[in-house]
Amino acid sequence: MSVAELKERHIAATATVNSLRERLKQRRQLLLDTDVAAFAKSQGRSAISFNSTDLICCRTLQGHTGKVYSLDWTPERNRIVSASQDGRLIVWNALTSQKTHAIKLQCPWVMTCAFAPNGQSVACGGLDSACSIFNLNSQVDRDGNIPVSRILTGHKGYVYSCQYVPDQETRLITSSGDQTCVLWDVTTGQRISVFGGEFPSGHTADVLSVSINSSNSNMFVSGSCDMTARLWDTRIASRAVGTYHGHQGDVNTVKFFPDGQRFGTGSDDSTCRLYDMRTGHQLQVYSQQHEGDDNDVPIVTSIAFSISGRLLFAGYSSGDCYVWDTLMAEVVLNLGTSQNSHEARISCLGLSSDGSALCTGSWDKNLKIWAFGGHRKVI
Amino acid sequence: MDRRLMVVLSAAESADYSFADEYKGPPLPYDIPRAVPIDVDRIPLAAVAPASAGLPDLPVVHPLPSPSSSPLKKPPPPHATPAPPLPAASPTSVIENHAAMDRPGAEVSGALGSFGFPDRSTDLSEVVDSSGAIGFSDELGNGAAWSNEMMPNRLSTESALSSEFSFLSSASGDGDEDEAVALQAKKALLVTFQESGQSSCSMSPAVGVTPRARSEDLEMKTKKRACHRCLKGSRFTEKETCLACDAKYCSGCVLRAMGSMPEGRKCISCIGSPILESNRERLGRSSRVLKKLLSSREVQLVMKAEKDCEANQLRPEDVCVNGTKLSLEEMVLLQSCSCPPNLKPGLYWYDKVSGYWGKEGHKPDRIITPHLNVGGTLMQNASNGNTGILINGREITKVELQMLKWAGVHCAGNPHFWLNADGTYLEEGQKNVKGQIWEKPIMKLLCPVLSLPFPSKVANPSGEEVNNLFSRAVPDCFDTKALQKLLLVGHHESGTSTIFKQAKFLYSSVPFSEDEREDIKLMIQTSIYNYLAILLEGRERFEEESLDEQRDKQHLDSSGDVAFDKQNKVTEYSISPRLRAFSDWLLKIMASGNLEAIFPAATREYAPLVEELWKDSAIQATYSRRNELQSLPSYASYFLERVVDISRAEYEPSDMDILCADGINSSNGVTYADFPFPCLACVGSSIDDDDQQEALLRYQLIRVHTMGLGENCKWLGMFEDVRIVIFCVAVTDYDEYYEDANGMVRNKMIESRRIFEGIASHPTFEQMDFLLILSKIDLLEQKLDMAPLTLCDWFDDYNPVVSYHPDNKNRRGAQIGATKSQQAFHYIAVKFKRLFFSITGRKLYVAQANGLDGDSVDAALRYAKEIIKWEERLVCGIPESMYSTEPSSYSH
Repeated sequence: MSVAELKERHIAATATVNSLRERLKQRRQLLLDTDVAAFAKSQGRSAISFNSTDLICCRTLQGHTGKVYSLDWTPERNRIVSASQDGRLIVWNALTSQKTHAIKLQCPWVMTCAFAPNGQSVACGGLDSACSIFNLNSQVDRDGNIPVSRILTGHKGYVYSCQYVPDQETRLITSSGDQTCVLWDVTTGQRISVFGGEFPSGHTADVLSVSINSSNSNMFVSGSCDMTARLWDTRIASRAVGTYHGHQGDVNTVKFFPDGQRFGTGSDDSTCRLYDMRTGHQLQVYSQQHEGDDNDVPIVTSIAFSISGRLLFAGYSSGDCYVWDTLMAEVVLNLGTSQNSHEARISCLGLSSDGSALCTGSWDKNLKIWAFGGHRKVI
Repeated sequence: MDRRLMVVLSAAESADYSFADEYKGPPLPYDIPRAVPIDVDRIPLAAVAPASAGLPDLPVVHPLPSPSSSPLKKPPPPHATPAPPLPAASPTSVIENHAAMDRPGAEVSGALGSFGFPDRSTDLSEVVDSSGAIGFSDELGNGAAWSNEMMPNRLSTESALSSEFSFLSSASGDGDEDEAVALQAKKALLVTFQESGQSSCSMSPAVGVTPRARSEDLEMKTKKRACHRCLKGSRFTEKETCLACDAKYCSGCVLRAMGSMPEGRKCISCIGSPILESNRERLGRSSRVLKKLLSSREVQLVMKAEKDCEANQLRPEDVCVNGTKLSLEEMVLLQSCSCPPNLKPGLYWYDKVSGYWGKEGHKPDRIITPHLNVGGTLMQNASNGNTGILINGREITKVELQMLKWAGVHCAGNPHFWLNADGTYLEEGQKNVKGQIWEKPIMKLLCPVLSLPFPSKVANPSGEEVNNLFSRAVPDCFDTKALQKLLLVGHHESGTSTIFKQAKFLYSSVPFSEDEREDIKLMIQTSIYNYLAILLEGRERFEEESLDEQRDKQHLDSSGDVAFDKQNKVTEYSISPRLRAFSDWLLKIMASGNLEAIFPAATREYAPLVEELWKDSAIQATYSRRNELQSLPSYASYFLERVVDISRAEYEPSDMDILCADGINSSNGVTYADFPFPCLACVGSSIDDDDQQEALLRYQLIRVHTMGLGENCKWLGMFEDVRIVIFCVAVTDYDEYYEDANGMVRNKMIESRRIFEGIASHPTFEQMDFLLILSKIDLLEQKLDMAPLTLCDWFDDYNPVVSYHPDNKNRRGAQIGATKSQQAFHYIAVKFKRLFFSITGRKLYVAQANGLDGDSVDAALRYAKEIIKWEERLVCGIPESMYSTEPSSYSH
């Protein structure tokens, strides 16, 4: 078979795949008779009403001298690690708003950071294509820096996101610009499995985000520049369990719904979406009409769900931080317009493990902790 | 009104809506602050209002601004409102008052914030409950506010308040402390009320107040030396002081007043402002208050931030030595010398020869490291002496004269002395040393008597190395200032890595560490297998083609001979079965992308096989046709020729190998190198002022891999602080193609253009200077003979013949005999300049380079440095210098 012939057949096959995909999409569309908001409305539910004072900024964590790119909470003890463009990781005590550790990084272009489940170590990754692990208990050197305890190398592109597998100090999942996600053994520094890459069902562009299912830590979902989110089983590296289409832009962030059966995504197309993990359906789109031309739509940079799942916090490049009612798909609060709001793009946000506080990190170099300021009867 | 009050009372009585409701939310992670439930009977408002029948007698509270007024508008000045008997001046203070009137000890839940605001969706009683206090004050003023919508001002008050209450840390919220607060707290709170309406960034009530406002406020206070925030305590309570405004806070308030202390102990509102000079000694010295409140690590970090942050540093322009203000470099020099002076803002004189240092108009204060290149020249009247005796050109004071006498120096006739740092002195205009001042042991005792300095042992007698800045540790905050970042980007194989490596060889003393070399070695060895695989693939193709040919020929020769014999199936591209097995294995590995997995273990094992393979005539035949193998990079032959050496385990890459290798590290990560541009001593010209100024400047060349340089590049925003973007394009790319992820064949030059457009129009680089480096210029000449430039769609209007026409722009004086490659270079440069101009409206600088030629890379990078300098001058208003903008003067 000649090369030209092969190419022809390849093109034909691609076309077939695309048409099949289109048909699948149409079928899905037919089956999708309603979305969450419409259904909830028909059931007579109404959106939560929030006062602008109900969520208030109660702490401002100042100390970074560059844009904050990422943050993560410890599962206990209310500490936060944040990564900034000034080339530092800072571990904060969220209660006193003081720094407990400041770690100067070898490579200042850091994009992500994560706290280990035991709270003893932090991981970070960035443009150096590696994921560095720091043990917070290790001895500081002469300059007061904490030495790297391990560097996970093997990615062929920048590391955009990393997350520890819950309850497993030694397992870590990273996502990278080389279109793969990798499950690492932190103690040995070896790759356990690689998701995507040369396998046909992997992402076809940079993977920007991962989120591990908290109820079944074998499952994780990844969001990518190829406008899809994919679901993976850590035990089966060879193929993605599911691919979720719908977004019209890079999927910047994915986050599992607290019940572990759904997950939310946030994208460059300025929408957040809720997907059902098992049916593969898109349950709801969370988007707002934006006035002005299309070039100015803010992108969703980061999302988080409240413990109950009723609220979806979404940070936007415009500096807004909407609180969505997931059921009614309405914005119930905008932290970007409240007092003490950030002055620049909100780059990351995270909910503390007990759900009592929300931390947002911004390009204005600050992190802010928001908590419920009002009193309200249980809904 | 009575009816309304009844509502209030009845509502307050119902337990559900008491002011301090029980918290029923999720468990709180923080310690719950102490609380103050409201004793309804003791609410003074409820009691007073019905008692006073005459409404006009009531103290009238100014109405709150209507909802339509902007939240920025200040509420009426608090001082205008009469205070007693109602302590209320604004809703805020009413609330505060309630809190204060309450019995201490009970719990305030995190929900205390609900004091203020009626949830409009709730029923009336709840409204009353949650906003009872506000309702009162409004009602007394004008009842209208009762039914009003929520007001912007109230909102801000509320949030300030609730932040105050609901997130007290365990350290700060003792219930009994709140007891006495009420009256005193009023003023502070009022001030903040205004402020919190004004500034959106204030975090807690004390925050928004400027230091001045606060100090004024404090003067009105009766109780001095109390905590500036809770207004309690006496001079004996332990307090922490703000370094910038001297406000004092008790241990309960420090954390809230100072927040996360990014610049050490400063009120949140003082962040960014310089510290008081009187507090400079306290920098980095922890206090007991902090130690009590925070863990030792936290204190350590606060102190570190305090010492290192830029705002707390002495500003060089505040220090004046010998009549000239210091520059940053001089300042660093002074602070980092072996005997540093005690620097504070002020005027000083410095005797460079002897090391004497003192305040202007005063006798010497200390002896610091001599020969520092700092400040202007020493004036005769620097220390305001009147003795007529000069030491190193300075008229000395009487005390010094006394010392000289004790030291046994003859001072008759007002001599002029030269005093060296080691204490030897001579008379002006004479050669012979007259003696040593410090040699008498008694001097060490006598000097302190006259309160004159005595040299310390460490003084550096030789003035050679003291002015060298690079050997010193420069403080962090200066460090980042002095670092000029150059971002090097380009499409894959555009020569960025070679230029980067060349720069490392040029400017770094240790270009590559052992680890890096090892990494590069592995990279070269891996890539050689890559090249081999490409060759093997090509071999298969050639074999097939020649077999086809043979078959065709045979077909023609022996028309229709079905028994096409197998022996004939041998072409010059055939290899032995053993090698074929290896070849198949390698190709399979390549196809699955697992090449990295088998290295470096494979190196030792397969080295002999590789050798055999390379020497095989079939491979050599394929290699001779390498021009037909598109995917084989141009530099592959450099390594393939030496494949036998390289595949050995003991192979050590030479510098040339490193330069030629594809990439810098195996992980495609960002790489960066710091270096000072060495002075152009070889040019022979003396170093001018500019270069001296640059002594502290260092340059950081950052090279990023092209992976992910798409239109939505997520990380370019990280490089907003670079000074210049150097974009690399290989000029030879115009006829080269590659296959993208979707199997589309694309021209590399067009692809470079696409990336260039993406980067130039990226919002991060809106005002950035761009330098285009056209690399591989050395290969262009011979390539132009084989393939015309017009092969690339973008260059289809290239018509080199015209360039020989006398009118053509290309023909500048020096380039009458412009070579083909130079013409092509200029043409491409202009193409890019026009493109850049159409995107940004600015000028694109262009340079050429050949990665393997150190001089050309050096020239290109120095050009980048010059551009940075020009831009700095432009910003300063100095017109562009007369430096030739050689390639760029050929403009659009």
